[in-house]
Amino acid sequence: MSQKGNNPQCADVPAPSVLSDNREERIAARRLRIVARNEAKKRQEQGEGSSKEVEEREEAKSQEQVDRSKLRIQRLQTDGTELVSNIQVAADARESLKRDELEEARRLRLEKLEAEAKSSLEKFEEISKRWTGARLREIPQELRDALNSQTQLCATLIEDKNKLINELQQELKVSDDRYVRDLKRQADEVDLMVERMEDQVKTLLISYREEIKEIEGSFNQEHKALMEGNLQKWEKLRKDRGDKEAESLSQRIGRVEEFEALLQKLRVEDAEEYNMIKTKLETDVQVLQQQLQQMKATYQLNQEKLEYNYQVLKKRDEENTITKSQQKRKITRLQDVLNNLKIKLSNQEKQSREENQSQTEEYRRIMHQYKHMQKKKRRFAVMDAQKFEEVWRMNEEEVKALVGRALEIDRLIYQQQLGLEWTPPPLPFMQRSGPIRAQRQARSSALQAAKSMLGRDGEEEEEGDDGKVDEEESPTTTAAAEGKSSEAGVGAGSDAITTGSGVEKPRKVSQKTVKRLLELLCDEAGFLIENKLLKLLSPLEKNEQCLMKLDSIFSAMGIDNEEDVYQLAEFFVKFKQQQQQQQQQQEEEEEGGASGVSDLADSIEGEDLIHPNDILMALKAFTAQHHRIRDSQAAQRGSESLVSCDVCEDVQYWESMAQVISPTKLTVWTSLEKALDKYYTVLTDRSKLLVDTQKLRQQNSELKMLLHQYVNSKVNAELEIPPAQVIQIARNDVINNQSMSRTMKR
Amino acid sequence: MAETVGAILMDPPVIRRNLNAADPRKMRRIIAEDPEWSLAVVPLLTNLCLEHIVINFEVQPMLHDLLPSHKAYVLEKLPPSLPLEVTANLISDEGYWKKCCVERWGLGDVTAYGNSWKRMFFERHLEKIIELFIPDVTDPKTVLDMVPLCKNYVKKLNISQLLPPIKAPQKADDNDSSDTGSDSGFDGPSMDHFDFGILLDKLIYLEELHLVYGVKGCGMNFEWNLFEFTFRDCESLAKALKQCKTLRVLRILQSKVDNEKCRLLVSYLLDHPSLQDLDLSHNLISDRGARAVGKLLNRSRLRSLNVYDNQIRGAGAEALAYALAKNTSLLTLNLRLNRLGDEGGQAIAQALTKNQTLVNLHLGANQLTEPTAIALSQALVQNNTLKSINLSCNRLGVDGGKVLEEGMSHNDTVVDCDVRLTSIEQESEVCISQILRTNQSKTRRKHTQEPIK
Repeated sequence: MSQKGNNPQCADVPAPSVLSDNREERIAARRLRIVARNEAKKRQEQGEGSSKEVEEREEAKSQEQVDRSKLRIQRLQTDGTELVSNIQVAADARESLKRDELEEARRLRLEKLEAEAKSSLEKFEEISKRWTGARLREIPQELRDALNSQTQLCATLIEDKNKLINELQQELKVSDDRYVRDLKRQADEVDLMVERMEDQVKTLLISYREEIKEIEGSFNQEHKALMEGNLQKWEKLRKDRGDKEAESLSQRIGRVEEFEALLQKLRVEDAEEYNMIKTKLETDVQVLQQQLQQMKATYQLNQEKLEYNYQVLKKRDEENTITKSQQKRKITRLQDVLNNLKIKLSNQEKQSREENQSQTEEYRRIMHQYKHMQKKKRRFAVMDAQKFEEVWRMNEEEVKALVGRALEIDRLIYQQQLGLEWTPPPLPFMQRSGPIRAQRQARSSALQAAKSMLGRDGEEEEEGDDGKVDEEESPTTTAAAEGKSSEAGVGAGSDAITTGSGVEKPRKVSQKTVKRLLELLCDEAGFLIENKLLKLLSPLEKNEQCLMKLDSIFSAMGIDNEEDVYQLAEFFVKFKQQQQQQQQQQEEEEEGGASGVSDLADSIEGEDLIHPNDILMALKAFTAQHHRIRDSQAAQRGSESLVSCDVCEDVQYWESMAQVISPTKLTVWTSLEKALDKYYTVLTDRSKLLVDTQKLRQQNSELKMLLHQYVNSKVNAELEIPPAQVIQIARNDVINNQSMSRTMKR
Repeated sequence: MAETVGAILMDPPVIRRNLNAADPRKMRRIIAEDPEWSLAVVPLLTNLCLEHIVINFEVQPMLHDLLPSHKAYVLEKLPPSLPLEVTANLISDEGYWKKCCVERWGLGDVTAYGNSWKRMFFERHLEKIIELFIPDVTDPKTVLDMVPLCKNYVKKLNISQLLPPIKAPQKADDNDSSDTGSDSGFDGPSMDHFDFGILLDKLIYLEELHLVYGVKGCGMNFEWNLFEFTFRDCESLAKALKQCKTLRVLRILQSKVDNEKCRLLVSYLLDHPSLQDLDLSHNLISDRGARAVGKLLNRSRLRSLNVYDNQIRGAGAEALAYALAKNTSLLTLNLRLNRLGDEGGQAIAQALTKNQTLVNLHLGANQLTEPTAIALSQALVQNNTLKSINLSCNRLGVDGGKVLEEGMSHNDTVVDCDVRLTSIEQESEVCISQILRTNQSKTRRKHTQEPIK
């Protein structure tokens, strides 16, 4: 019933939604869904068993019925609405027709009116024209005729108008009638419509009822069929079950009896077994009781024993605790000791490390000292050599003076004393001066070479500066030269080669290149120069700066002499060549090595000899090489015994000096000396005697004077004994004395 | 004995209870020896109080403080004659308002008012007031007083008549010239109807407005100027409509809306935020008015447009068709009983090829003939949204019918096509109805399948 009610709804309302707000709509949607599901299920089940097909068909029947009724109802509705709306449509059509007609009529009427207006206007004009004509008439008859005709015309005009008005009024009446008719008809139509609507409602109601009945009937049928089928099935199933139940019951009864018999049997057997076991167990109990007694006795014993043991163990335990505590204490003590030892160890380690460090420091220091000492030694060697030379020179001079004096003395002796002709002995050593080694030609120092290079340049550029530079530089250069020379003197053995090659060796590099190279060095190797020096140099001129810098660079690199400078230059050139060759080789390898070796010399001469960036590498290589050579030379020098060779020569030299006065001459000299000594004593004696006589003469004169005084004084007279007497006596004495001394002298 | 019992019974129970305060009978609920004894005879104090509340409700309205059961009781008892000032915003119970409605108008169809009796009551009440409003005579306060009471409940106003002002002595003099009264501006101002400007902006929930500028049931007192929609009326109405932002449906029927008034209305309705349904049927709109309506079509959210029984001709239809071709919101268009002619019909048909939203189209009684049928059949081939089309009362002719049949055979969305009284052949009609039936069954199948998905 409800389904039927919903069906039209589902046709009208598009897709009732389950989520709708309207309750009815929701219900409808759910129902639709259920129907759809059922259908789907049906369709699914169609392929299954044939037994279901009957229901299927029935279901389909009801559905079919529903569809059919739906269709019918819809048709009824559409027909009904058509029937109802037919009236409206007809009215519309009529209305539109009427409007057309009215429009047409209006158009005609308008035309008519216009035509009428036009014609009446014409007439009116004619009348008004005639008025002017009438005014001209003077004869009353004519005027009357004219007036009459005018009135006639007016009358016709008015008649026309009236006719028109009548017509219009007729039309109005007609349309009024029509309006009334229309109204009536419309009322009729409305009535008809209402009637039809009512009919429609009625028929719809009836048909709805019928349809509901039919659908219900079909559903009922379906339901009945379903019920019957299900009941049959149910009955059958129930019967089956009853049969099964009865069967199982009988089976069960049989089984129960069987089990009862079995039970009885088992019960009897068990009773027997039970009795047997009971007796057995009673005996067992007795035995066990006996055992229990025994066990109790042993237990008592054991208890006592154990108690004793327990006591003993307790004691032991106590002892153990004591010892344990002791041990613990000991452990803590030992731990302390261990800690102390650890601390000590760490301290020791620290100390030893420090010591080690200090030792290494010491070692370093000593090494440094040692190096310093070596340096000192070298210095001292130099100094010693210098001193030695100085002493040598001094002694030589002295000796030479002595020799000169000796020879002079010899000459004097010969000429004056002996009156002999004196010939000077041959004296070759007198021309020599300085120590023997010093006579070796000092090589020109590196700095000088550099200076010469730069100086040449300076000459080329500005000649005036040259002298000044020389003057200013002289102390340093000389000092350097001295140092160099002294050092060179040490290595006398090896100079045979170097001296030879030093100057005469044809130089492979031109001076120009060397100069450029030096300048480059000056620029690039600035790091070798000390900062202080740089500061000091800053006020000087460029050339001088260059020189000073070069000096320090050379000293840092260990380049001493000109030769080294040239070597350096050569090395650089070679280095460059090597590099270029390497490059070329690389290039050749890359290209396939077709191009020939280019003229390297030209490139060197023409272009810069070495790239500033490569200078450092070149320098490094050079110093390595150079030092190797120098070290080997130094080793050579060290190995040679310098002194032994020298000493004999020196002795010879000195001896030759000592033996300027030959032994024969010496004998002559000694004898001469003896004679002269004797002569000298005689002479001295004589001179002494001369002095004595002089003195005596003086005394004598003095005494004479005194005597004279005394003799001549007045006092003498007064005296008892005149002195004259005494003098006589004294005179005698004196004469005696004199005579005595004379004798003595003789 | 019987007398005594009767005497006792005759006493009011309350008094008796007071008298026999110590009487053991008082304690008993059932008194077997007294066959007429019943506890119900004694009204409860609460009931008495409630009665009192009901009686004095007008003076002391008291409802929300009561218990729910008591409230129901009071509402049950309240008389529908209570003044609205008291009840309007206090009582929301539907039962009470149903009572009021039934008392005033008899049984009504509440479903038309959203199943709300209260809404029904207020809407009908307000409608009555407006319909009986006579300008210059009735005090506008009578309307405005109602506003605070009913503004929360009124959603729809179906005003079936608007009275013109009563003309004073003048009327008698002008009696014979009443049919030309509309021409003379002499009594123009006095012909204005109720001014909606004072009302519409206060009704904040108003959604529908149906207006008829005319007098209902004038009978033999008919005068032309009873049915006059003056320009000033139109202007004030348009301004009021512009203020009313919630309005969804506007119907102005049988009101002699001519081109000028239509244009004025449309100019105020342009870009209205909520207007969906516009009905200007039974008016005097012709081409210029139609052009204005066409402009409105694409400057609003109109879903339905009814302009049937007007005087739109070819040019107006072309304007409408131009708007329709670009429109994407309109679902229903009713042009019944106009004068489109083939010119307008073809334009509309061509617009249908471009439009993708229109569902219902009514072109009945429009003097359409064969060329329109050809154009329509072409449109039907291309359009696949249109579901219902009405071409009745047009002289399509035999050939037009065949062409239409041809067009319909290529369409599978149209489920309703009315070709009655179009003088086409029976055969074509049958064919068309056949096609319609297949389309219907197709759509029905679609509908039944959709919910499953």
